[in-house]
Amino acid sequence: MIQKKIRITTTDLLLLAGIGAVIVWLLYQATLQTEYKWNWPAIPQYLLRVDEQSGRWVPGLILQGVLVTLRLSLWATVLALVIGTVMGLFRTGCSRYRRMIGSGYVALIRNIPVLVWIFIFYYFIGDRLLPAIGINRAMLMDGTPLSGILSLLMAEPSRVPIFISGAIALAVYEGAYITEIIRAGIQSIDKGQWEASSGLGFTRAQQLRHIIFPQALRRMMPPLAGQFISTIKDSAIVSVISIQELTFQGMELMAATFLTFEVWITILGIYFVLCLICSLLVERFERHLKKEARPA
Amino acid sequence: MKIVKRMTQIVFLAVLVLTLVGAPGVNAADRQDSVVEQVIQRGVLRVGMSTFVPWAMKDKTGKLIGFEIDVATRLAEEMGVKVAFVPTKWSGIIPALLTGKFDVIIGGMGILPSRNLKVNFSHPYDFTGMSLVASKKMAAGMTGIEAFNKPDIIIAVRLGSTAVTATKKYLPKAEIRMFDDEAQAYQEVINGRVHAVVGSAPTPAFQAIKYPDKLFLPIEGTFTREPIGFAVRKGDVDTLNYFNNWIGYVAAEGWLKDRKSYWFETKDWKSQIQ
Repeated sequence: MIQKKIRITTTDLLLLAGIGAVIVWLLYQATLQTEYKWNWPAIPQYLLRVDEQSGRWVPGLILQGVLVTLRLSLWATVLALVIGTVMGLFRTGCSRYRRMIGSGYVALIRNIPVLVWIFIFYYFIGDRLLPAIGINRAMLMDGTPLSGILSLLMAEPSRVPIFISGAIALAVYEGAYITEIIRAGIQSIDKGQWEASSGLGFTRAQQLRHIIFPQALRRMMPPLAGQFISTIKDSAIVSVISIQELTFQGMELMAATFLTFEVWITILGIYFVLCLICSLLVERFERHLKKEARPA
Repeated sequence: MKIVKRMTQIVFLAVLVLTLVGAPGVNAADRQDSVVEQVIQRGVLRVGMSTFVPWAMKDKTGKLIGFEIDVATRLAEEMGVKVAFVPTKWSGIIPALLTGKFDVIIGGMGILPSRNLKVNFSHPYDFTGMSLVASKKMAAGMTGIEAFNKPDIIIAVRLGSTAVTATKKYLPKAEIRMFDDEAQAYQEVINGRVHAVVGSAPTPAFQAIKYPDKLFLPIEGTFTREPIGFAVRKGDVDTLNYFNNWIGYVAAEGWLKDRKSYWFETKDWKSQIQ
């Protein structure tokens, strides 16, 4: 690759200064227009605070919300990846019956708004599904060792049913997009690869595992990464069904303290940092994949 | 391969049958007992509420405090069960009650005839009223409620609250702008984008004290009087009877009045919030 040295000229500096000045002026005007008493010193106590009884640092309201958002995104991503992989394989498979299930699922989920989907799932589907698998009993386990594990992985026992509802609803939604990424990834691999591996006597499962998937994965990584980051951001939507994640905690805090802008800006910053970390991790993983693919 | 296919089909069918037939059966079994009975068996009273200063709010440590919280906590104590609060968005609180996400709404819910068609209300345990706070910039010099009943006046309220009903009734000519949270409605009036906010007392008065150079109170006290009750699902006489008599019992003690004056007339609790 040819490395071109980037030189910063006076024009660049002038342009940068100009753009910066405009942004500062806009922000200044915005604060003038908005009659608002800023109270930033009130915010840190909602992030971290010292517990009066034990004298230790414990997460405040906002940080508790961050933890819920992380757990929720993690479960939703894992589930969506499973759903997406299965459905993606269905869509590229030989069986017509499976192809129909796969495309029916994608068509249904992609063409409904996520907000409405989450409402419907929570109030109607979740209501029928969860008692059937005995989830509601989970909230009775308070105090048992199992409840400790449960609250570490998901939510405290009394909030497990609603947490699962939210995670499944989100996963089913994100799964539709992952299905399409996986389908596109598999279909982008040259037909010759299938034919050659078939000629070498691989079964279909073996072809997929050893030949197609490793190549497709590299192509699927960038859109998949985008989808993972999307999941973190989309998890804010489940605040409407009162899952106590970052956005919900923020709105509760605003209702109690009336610190509207401080709280929104803090939340914005936290989402940005979460998503940025996620992007950087994926970037590293992609580079790792590239290195592996290079012939030794 | 054939067996796998068969198995998948069987699993699909099983899930379908379970969701369509099995689950309602489970629910129906739950519903045989009254809510009070279920709560005692479960050992937990699930209370639906929404943040609404000073009825219910989270303090610095994330613990819920407020008038409603005191009421629900004592109610659970006397039933001999633990209390679990389910913070819920106000706009979705009635559907959540109806679909069994919690047992009762103790959340400063005004008893309205239209709401009563969907849920049952206990006897009132409290009365509240709507009050009005106006922007000094937009509504300078306006006094009395009638001054705001004009087509060019914009009023901000919280979506789905009794403030909407009260505004439509008392200020039918004014334009209403609805917000999901109270804080947003008050921010609008502080910014001077609307003329006034209608909200449950005492928050409008508290806001006027907090922003003396931006806000003022065009009327003294409140312009409505609304009963506040517990909301439960329909068709459950036992639960309603229990709640009604519990309210009568604590009201006779003077406990309700005492708690109310602590949360609504003093601001001793302010330091717990910020």
